Amino acid sequence: MSETAFGYLLLAIGIAFVLAVVYAVTSHVGASTDRPRPRPPRGVHLPNPSALPVIMAVGGALLGIGLAFRADDQPVANPFFAVPGLIVFLYAIVAWVRAAGREWNETERGSHDDAPGH
Amino acid sequence: MSAGSPVMRAADEQLPLSHREAGLPTPLVGMLLFIASEVMFFGGLFAAYFNARAIHVGEWGPPAGAPELEILPIALPITIVLVASSFTMQFGVWAIRRGDQRAMRRWTLLTLVLGVGFLLGQVYDYTTLGFGISDGAFGTVFYTLTGFHGAHVFGGAVGLTILAARAGQGQFSRQNHVAVEAISFYWHFVDVVWIALFSTLYFLR
Repeated sequence: MSETAFGYLLLAIGIAFVLAVVYAVTSHVGASTDRPRPRPPRGVHLPNPSALPVIMAVGGALLGIGLAFRADDQPVANPFFAVPGLIVFLYAIVAWVRAAGREWNETERGSHDDAPGH
Repeated sequence: MSAGSPVMRAADEQLPLSHREAGLPTPLVGMLLFIASEVMFFGGLFAAYFNARAIHVGEWGPPAGAPELEILPIALPITIVLVASSFTMQFGVWAIRRGDQRAMRRWTLLTLVLGVGFLLGQVYDYTTLGFGISDGAFGTVFYTLTGFHGAHVFGGAVGLTILAARAGQGQFSRQNHVAVEAISFYWHFVDVVWIALFSTLYFLR
């Protein structure tokens, strides 16, 4: 099997794996939830200020720089930019999802009142 | 979207009486706003393409030694696949509007298969192009545009997978299927963007 065909196969397996995990998790969540789906409280809820969008943008920019400016002996990307960029980017994704989860829980617990905007 | 449209009626029937006819359901508004931001995003990418093209007049295209971009054997077939997936997505929406959840799930899974087929076809196309992202302005712009679009198709595939899983749990009905409508909006948008990309990259020489 050529190197290209092997990479192509790996990508196909990766896509199938991610979609299978998403399917399994979604099915599991749907099956285990007996209580009614939560609804946000009345009024307008605004998320708290966060540095995560800026952090994610910096990570994405570093990753892009690493991909665009590489030496001839670097096959995919410049690791001095791409690796830190990828780490920062992935960290921002995880932190953002966790922050959104915390925010949802706080909202569900009713720490917000019914004022028109908060 | 008129108040009498199927989307509005379906969304309206699942609300408490006191909240009915209050406008578009929040998930659809969110999706429309998201799509509006995506239009601006792809607008920026197209602007980059045409700016680079204007700067490199006379030398625009694949780098020396690489073959010209051809719509066959890959680009046109995967375009047909993606356009067909928009139809299957819409058949799924119409099915759930009738309350036929099984048909909606079948159409959603078919749409997912076509979407993944498009992605794999695009990656295969990359392997035959003969130039990379760092091979000149054209290479950079080409891979940036098609790469970001591919990422959006993958995002849509994740959304379709969630729809299929939720349909398997019996979570959709004639009255309650706003998520199906929202994902269909996104999928049609991704399709339209590809048609614009395909026309720009392969036909504008």
